[in-house]
Amino acid sequence: MVKYIIKRILLLIPILLGVSAIIFILKTFTPGDPARQILGNNATQEQIDAKRDELGLNDPVPLQYVRYIGGVVTGDFGDSYRTGEPVLKEILPRLGVSGIITLGAVFIGAVLGVLLGILSALKKYTWVDSLVLVISMFFQSVPEFVVGLFLILIFAVNLHILPANGIETPLGFIMPMLCVGLASIASYTRITRSSMLEVMGEDYIRTARAKGQTEGKIVYSHALRNAIIPVVQSIGTGLANSIGGGMVIETVFAVPGVGKYIVDSITQRNYPSVLGGALIIAFVLTIINLLVDIAFVIIDPRLKTTIIAGGAKRKKAAKPKAA
Amino acid sequence: MSGNILSIKDLVIHYETQEEVVEAVNKINLDLNKGEILGLVGETGAGKTTTALGIMGLLPPKVGHVIQGNIFLEGEDLLKKSQREMRSIRGKKISMIFQDPMTALNPVKTVGDQIAEVIRLHERCSKAEALKKAQDMLAMVGIVPERYKEYPHQFSGGMKQRIVIAIALACEPELLIADEPTTALDVTIQAQILDMMRKLQKDKGTSMILITHDLGVVAEMCDHCAVMYGGEIVEYGTVEQIFDNPKHPYTKALYRSIPSLDQDVERLHVIPGMVSDPSNLPTYCTFYDRCEECNEECGKHDPWIVDIEPGHWAKCFRYTPEWTGTPVADPAETQGEGK
Ligand SMILES: Nc1ncnc2c1ncn2[C@@H]1O[C@H](COP(=O)(O)OP(=O)(O)OP(=O)(O)O)[C@@H](O)[C@H]1O
Ligand code: SF4
Ligand SMILES: [Mg+2]
Repeated sequence: MVKYIIKRILLLIPILLGVSAIIFILKTFTPGDPARQILGNNATQEQIDAKRDELGLNDPVPLQYVRYIGGVVTGDFGDSYRTGEPVLKEILPRLGVSGIITLGAVFIGAVLGVLLGILSALKKYTWVDSLVLVISMFFQSVPEFVVGLFLILIFAVNLHILPANGIETPLGFIMPMLCVGLASIASYTRITRSSMLEVMGEDYIRTARAKGQTEGKIVYSHALRNAIIPVVQSIGTGLANSIGGGMVIETVFAVPGVGKYIVDSITQRNYPSVLGGALIIAFVLTIINLLVDIAFVIIDPRLKTTIIAGGAKRKKAAKPKAA
Repeated sequence: MSGNILSIKDLVIHYETQEEVVEAVNKINLDLNKGEILGLVGETGAGKTTTALGIMGLLPPKVGHVIQGNIFLEGEDLLKKSQREMRSIRGKKISMIFQDPMTALNPVKTVGDQIAEVIRLHERCSKAEALKKAQDMLAMVGIVPERYKEYPHQFSGGMKQRIVIAIALACEPELLIADEPTTALDVTIQAQILDMMRKLQKDKGTSMILITHDLGVVAEMCDHCAVMYGGEIVEYGTVEQIFDNPKHPYTKALYRSIPSLDQDVERLHVIPGMVSDPSNLPTYCTFYDRCEECNEECGKHDPWIVDIEPGHWAKCFRYTPEWTGTPVADPAETQGEGK
C-alpha cells in the first residue's frame, strides 16, 4: 500500500511538468507584453527593456521554463506582476477559501445526490423517481450563476438572512457552496440510482433476505456499501467540475478564492499568478484523486490485493483537469 | 400428517411481466417427511427455483405471484404469514442455499460477519458471541476458523459454497432448501460438498429439499424424489420406486439421458424437442410434444394423477384403465403430430 502511494506521488511529477509546460507555451504565444502591463502605458522603451531583462523575458523560452521549474521545486512560484508579492503567498489563503467552498459543495452535492439516488432506486418507476429526476436535472441544466442570482434574490434581498457577497462572516460561504453543490446533484443521483438498482438485484441481497434481514438494514448495510463505490469514484471528477463552477461562482459572489484570482490574473496577463494557480490546483486535484483511490481500498476489500499486486491497474478514475 | 414438515397443496405461481405471464409452477403438490431429503429434479426452466422461492417467500416483488395454493410448514400456512413473521422464519426455520456460490456472498463484508449476521438476527446473543459461533460454523464446514476475518474473494468456489452452507445451517433450520448447490463447482468438489451436506443433515436431523438435475445425486442423497416438468410434478415416489420402476415417459427419458460406463457414448439418449415454454403452456399434457408414448387422447386433455403403487404416482394417461393407444415408436413422427 505504501509502495503504491509513493508510486502515485511520483506520478505527480510528469503531470505537473506537463501542466506547467502547456501554460508556459500558451503564455509565450499570447500577444501583449507583461512588462508594459506592469509599467503602464507611460513607460519609455528603455524602462520596458530593462524590466524585460529583469523578468528574464528576453531569455530563450526553454531556459525560462527550466528556471521557473527550478524555482517551483524550492517553493518559489515567482512574484505577481501586479503586486510584486510572491505568488504562493497570495494563493495560499485564497486556496483555503476555495477549498472550503469546493468541499462544502461536493459534500452538499454528494449527500443530497446519494440520498435522492437511493430514494429513486427504491421507488423506481414511481412518481417519486420521476420527481427526483426532474429536480436534479433542473439544477444541472440551469447555469450556476443563474441559481446564484436567484439565491441572492431570495436570501439576501428579500429575506435578509444571508449576505449577498463577500465572506466577511462565515454565512457568506453558504450560498456559493449551495450553487456549486446543487449543480452536481444530478450526476451523483444518476450514478447512485443505477448502481443501487444493480446492487439490489445481486444474489447476495437475496442471501441477506433469506437470512431474514429487514429491508432497511439490507439497504444500508448490504447494498449501500457496494453501491457507493462508483459514487466515490465520481467524486474525483466532481471535485474538478466543482472547481470549474467555483470560478464563476466566486466572481458572482465576489469571494476572494483561487478561481477569482486566476480569472483576474488572466485578464491582467499576470502570468506568474496564472501559472502558479494552475499548478497548485493541478497538484491539489491529483492529491485528492489519490485520497479517493485510497478510500476505495477501504470500502472495497477486493482492491487491496489488486492494488498491492498489480499497481495502478484499474486506474480509471478522473485524471486531474488543469484549471 | 404429523410426520410432514412441509406440505404443499395445489401451488400455482406466475411471473407477470409487461409482455407476458409465465406460468412457472402449476398446481403442484408435495410432501416432505421430517428428517428426510426430497430430491426435486427436472430440466432447466421446470420451475424448481420458483417453487423454492415460493416456499421462502422470496419471489421477485411485483413480478412473482402465488396465485393459489397453500404451503404448510409444520401445519402453519406460510402464505398467510405477514412479512415480519416470514422474516423470523427465514434463516431460522427454513434456510436456502442458492444456485451460485460465487455471487451469493457480499463482497465487501467479511465471511465471519456474514455468518454472524444470521445468528444475531435469530438468537439473543452479543456480537462477540455471534462471531465466536460463526467461527465454530466455519470449522464445521471444514474451513480454518481463523479465516473468519477474510473476504469472499479470498476463498475458492468450493470454499465459498461451504461458507454459504455455514450461513444456511448456522441457526439449525428445520428445513433446508438446497438449490443445485454443486452445479457451479467442479466434480471432485461436488462430491466433497454433497458428502458434507449429507453428514450435517444426518447429524442435525434437518429435513431437506435438494434441487438438482442430476439423477445420480438424487440416488445417492435422497429418500423421496419428485420429477418436475413444465411447472408440474409429473412423478413422485421414493427413490427406490422412481429408480426401479420409473413410469412417466419424461422420467424414463431422463434415465436414458444419464451416461453410464457400460453404454456407448453415441447411444446416449437425448430427449427430443425443447422444454415447453411456460409462458405459453398447452391445455393438454405439457409433455405431449416430446412424448414417445402418447396417443391421441393426450393431445385433448390435461392428464390427472394416477397412483402406481402406495406412495408412488405419475401424472400420465398411460396408467389409467382407459388407456388404449399403442405407443408411437418414432419420436420424429410424434413431434410432427404435436404441432
Ligand atoms: N423473474 C422472472 N420473471 C419472469 N420469468 C421468470 C422469472 N424467473 C423465472 N422465470 C421463468 O419461470 C420459469 C421457471 O424458472 P425457474 O428458475 O424456476 O426454473 P428452474 O427449474 O430453477 O431452472 P434451472 O434449472 O435453470 O435453475 C422459467 O421459464 C423462467 O424463464
Ligand atoms: S399423458 Fe400422454 S403425452 Fe403426457 S406423458 Fe403421458 S403418455 Fe405422454
Ligand atoms: Mg433454478
